[in-house]
Amino acid sequence: MSSRIVPGEAAKPPGEGGPPTGQRSSGARSLGAHQIEAQDRVRQGALDRQARKRLEDERVLSGQDDASLLRKLWPFLRPERAWLTVAILASLVTSAISLGRPLIMLWAIDRSIATKDPGLILLGGIAFAAASLVEQGLGFVQTYATQVVGARAMADLRLHVFRFIARLPQSFFDHQPVGRLVTRVTNDVDSIQELFNSGIVSVLGSVLRLVGVVVLMLTLDIKLSLVAFSSLPLIGLVVLWVRKRARDAFRAIRGETARMNSNMNEQVTGLPVVQAFGQETAMYRQFEEINASYRDANVAAIKYEAIQDAAVDAVGAIAMAMIIVALGMHHASFGTVVALSTYLTLFFEPITALAQLYTLVQNALSGAERVFGLLAEPGRDMAPVPGEHVAKGDANFALEFQHVTFGYKPNLPVLHDVSFAAKPGQVVALVGPTGSGKTTVTALLLRLYEIWQGKIFVSGDDVQGLTAADLRARFSVVPQEVLLFPGTLAENVALGQEPDLERVRAVLTQMGVLDLFEKREGGLLARVHTSGANFSVGERQLIAFARALYRDAEILILDEATASVDSDTEARMQKALAVLMAGRTSIVVAHRLSTIRAANVILVLSRGHIVESGTHEELLVQGGLYAALYDLQIARAG
Amino acid sequence: MTEPSASAPPVTLVGQFRRQLPRYLVGIALLAVYQTAQYLFDKRLIVAINAVTGEGLTDALSSGRDLVLIAIVAFGIRIASRVAIFNAGRQAEYEIRNGLLARLQTLGQSFYQTMPPGEIMSRATNDLTQVRLLLGFAVLNAVNTTFGLISAFAVTMSISPTLTLAALAPMPLLVLITRVFGGQIYGRQKANQDALGEMSDLLQTSITGSRVIRSFDLERAQEQRFTRVNQNYLEKSLALSRLRGAIGPVMASLSGVGVIIVFWYGGHMLVTGQITPGGFLTFFRALGRLSWPLMALGFLIGLVQRGRAAYSRLTDILNAQPEVVDGPAPAPAQLRGRLEVRNLHFAYRAENPVLRGVSFVLEPGASVAIVGRTASGKSTLARLLPRLMNTPRGCVFLDGVDICDLPLSVVRGAIGYTQQDAFLFSTTAAHNIGFALDETESAPARETIRGAARRAHVLDELLGLPDALDTVVGERGVQLSGGQKQRVALASGFVLSPKLLVLDDPLSAVDARTEKGILEAIDEERAERGVILVTHRVVAARRCDRILVMEHGEIVESGTHDELCQRGGIYARFAEEQRIEAALQELENWAPPVAPTGAESARGGSMLGGSP
Repeated sequence: MSSRIVPGEAAKPPGEGGPPTGQRSSGARSLGAHQIEAQDRVRQGALDRQARKRLEDERVLSGQDDASLLRKLWPFLRPERAWLTVAILASLVTSAISLGRPLIMLWAIDRSIATKDPGLILLGGIAFAAASLVEQGLGFVQTYATQVVGARAMADLRLHVFRFIARLPQSFFDHQPVGRLVTRVTNDVDSIQELFNSGIVSVLGSVLRLVGVVVLMLTLDIKLSLVAFSSLPLIGLVVLWVRKRARDAFRAIRGETARMNSNMNEQVTGLPVVQAFGQETAMYRQFEEINASYRDANVAAIKYEAIQDAAVDAVGAIAMAMIIVALGMHHASFGTVVALSTYLTLFFEPITALAQLYTLVQNALSGAERVFGLLAEPGRDMAPVPGEHVAKGDANFALEFQHVTFGYKPNLPVLHDVSFAAKPGQVVALVGPTGSGKTTVTALLLRLYEIWQGKIFVSGDDVQGLTAADLRARFSVVPQEVLLFPGTLAENVALGQEPDLERVRAVLTQMGVLDLFEKREGGLLARVHTSGANFSVGERQLIAFARALYRDAEILILDEATASVDSDTEARMQKALAVLMAGRTSIVVAHRLSTIRAANVILVLSRGHIVESGTHEELLVQGGLYAALYDLQIARAG
Repeated sequence: MTEPSASAPPVTLVGQFRRQLPRYLVGIALLAVYQTAQYLFDKRLIVAINAVTGEGLTDALSSGRDLVLIAIVAFGIRIASRVAIFNAGRQAEYEIRNGLLARLQTLGQSFYQTMPPGEIMSRATNDLTQVRLLLGFAVLNAVNTTFGLISAFAVTMSISPTLTLAALAPMPLLVLITRVFGGQIYGRQKANQDALGEMSDLLQTSITGSRVIRSFDLERAQEQRFTRVNQNYLEKSLALSRLRGAIGPVMASLSGVGVIIVFWYGGHMLVTGQITPGGFLTFFRALGRLSWPLMALGFLIGLVQRGRAAYSRLTDILNAQPEVVDGPAPAPAQLRGRLEVRNLHFAYRAENPVLRGVSFVLEPGASVAIVGRTASGKSTLARLLPRLMNTPRGCVFLDGVDICDLPLSVVRGAIGYTQQDAFLFSTTAAHNIGFALDETESAPARETIRGAARRAHVLDELLGLPDALDTVVGERGVQLSGGQKQRVALASGFVLSPKLLVLDDPLSAVDARTEKGILEAIDEERAERGVILVTHRVVAARRCDRILVMEHGEIVESGTHDELCQRGGIYARFAEEQRIEAALQELENWAPPVAPTGAESARGGSMLGGSP
């Protein structure tokens, strides 16, 4: 969690946190348990929200209004209808019971005073405690049912978003920061879930309770109640006054928090420069100043928080005093006084709960807005193409490019009118300076991107006419940067299939590298650390080769690594490569002379054009770009 | 350098507690008054209720007035007490955070290797928040709980000691249970966070590895993994919910016992006239005041433990020992700028030496190029010269004095260094260039900045920005290209105007034309100061008086460009490679007939546009 706090982002003011020091002058309800718990959650949630708020500035202005967001959420909530109903019913019953409890007190006290029978009051106590228990029990049911609804619905939503992301075109990922997409699935969905965790369903109960308290108080004793309520408008004004200022103060805190986090992050990442220029003191001053405004913004907000915190108690006490005053003019039974005083405390609970919910709803809506904004992305990986656009190629070629033009950004073509073909079993080497479009050619074969013009055929089939599984199953790919997944070595070789250890061993033996991996601790079952940090560059390359051999597809795509490895590993790689390419159509982005020389056709790319093609000998004779590149290789190798 | 530690506020928990003591004392006094007011309210209420439910209706108005007054006073005092104590927490947070930065500024590469920026930020935010809660919120609660107990206890005892004892019987259990719940919740919260972390990691791999996943058609397998971690997260979060939800009912049943006791025993006393109605109602209210602080106690203990754990994570930073500190020698009156490196060995990890006995001398105003392949040790050497890392003693001498004996400010003022991947602060371009200046607003300062920018061949491009030199650049401002950043950094090095300028590969991201201009600027610099140019470019190196070629941490060749070319060693090979590369570039420029497209107009739109 902690690492999710990213600098440079606005954060929700954590406030002074924790439960209020409340002297909840309430009846004998299970005092405060809810409050502690709710406040504790708010405090924990505040930390999470810090991370969440950073995204505020990247909010998609997709014009999705609240109603349409709720409509989009409904399909995920629908399957949990049963739990939702349980939660709503439990919430209503809980509120009803809480409204009934003071009546029990009223009855027991008045009856026992009248009859002088202590047994009655004990009965009242038992009834009261039983009512509390049922209320709390149902309260648990309500909370838990709501959380089940939220957690399940959001798990579904997360899976949905995950699947959606998997269907987005590769080009989408080229421009999206990874962190942002991760946040969509984690923080943003969580901010919706937070709404359920905090018991959105209890809104109905809160409203019922609020109305019930007013009605019951008025029924019990209209005069006393009206006097008690008479202090409310005044308090309402105070609350309004504070609320507006508190909102401004919290907004200021958010700004200052963002400023401080980003400054601190910059101070840390730029420290080498600060040290080299001996600017520690100046930078410290700058930070101190920002840190001080952060502190001052928070300090300014403390008093508003304190007023809100103290107001609830003060209001209860003042209302109690008003009742006393009213009682001076108008007699009521002792039981009525006790009941009214209990109702007074009950009156403020739903108000506080509703106010807290408001912030959570805002957070959840902005989370939903971002999630559904992502889900509105139009592009698809391997989007189906209408049948009439699918052509048929020459099945005698294993792969063929016909006048292919493509670019990653509009108006910036990377490949211009590229045409070539390879027969089954042939090795095609792509050579050319950096940025000439070699790797792009291989990406297009897999249809990771949509070409602008031309046609690409694999064994005579138009790549646009095949399904993802159908097309990509024909290839084994060895990328330049090998990505290892968390899991065992064997799992990484089998990649996606249940690893058959015998086959993994056979593949490694065939490549002549079994000894290299078996001698490691754990052998083939050795764990791969995050991003394969416990394997050397050479070893990772060999694992990638093994993957390709294990997959045993018709066509090999190999993007040779430029990084140099030690000579022993280099020799092993050469041998393994020979095994891998034997009898397989291969298209190689080549850097090694040995690989290039072994090719049947060499295509020389320059700025997206094929400028030369032929065998090594033919091209050397031409004395063009290839000859120059060759000289360079020789010089490097020298 | 950073603030002298003698005058800096303490950063320990105890030290901060002492320092904020005046605020705490004010808060404590206020809380005492507050709880006294609560006590008075309750006492007055007993009388008032007895009066109005009995016969004496006459004092109702005065009773009500007294109660309102007490409530208003209590309201004000309660606010003031919170403000006093929370201010202490905020002030402590502020001072500890300052302390964190001051310490971070003194730490070097060996520390940052063990703690990445993300981790530092997380400690400076999350952990510091926990510490603040400990120093503010927890203190307030501890004091208030104590006073609240006394106040409520005094009320209930005055009504009936026996009833008080009876009602409090289940209370210790209450404290115990909150404590247990608190611990459990913490554990489950952690499990929940871990599950979330696992999910984030999987997402991260899925997205960064989307190419591989697609190429190998692994979408289904990856989706299965995700379904698994997603389910795990769901279960963990529901487990947490169950526990949180259970607190209420458990508490209710416990306090239910207390309620039955009060009703039964208290009711008996009420009916038999042992206590008054006012006493009965007030007892009920006071019991409420009692159970809250007792319950809060359990959470309070958790808060203190979390605060202490968080503080111990802060001490990893606060107690980290700086490796590079000021030397004992006084600052010399005048520096000539003669640099001597004698048999310099260096290793990040003992088994893997990076520099193996490097020696050379640089006379004042001379220039030397350090050439070598990636990982030959040349950048490490460059960083060791101004002691940006822990330079071994007795190896680097400035005017004959070991740099480890000199004050850091002298060493770094004399030996300027610009790093390879230029870093810009999120401030104006002028501030970035004039980073070494005390102020950047005065006319002479502006002139210096403009001059440096001009020499670094970046002035015209900067003047083309929306607010010219006052445009905010860096992370949160206008994004400059890699080459522009390098040139801004170079300009800031020029402004520093050291005796000796160490330039770590200042040309890695600039095009050929700009490269030529910068090399000329560096030539001009050489007239005023010594220059050490770390580079892999032969065109740059050949302009220097002498060239040192590094390989595997050693200087393997040394001499002028012509000498080294004739020798036919590594340098000669570099020269040949780069000659062919240049030729290749020429060939490419000339070879393919690039079809005219919209690309040119897109690229030509802005100097700063994102041309690839």
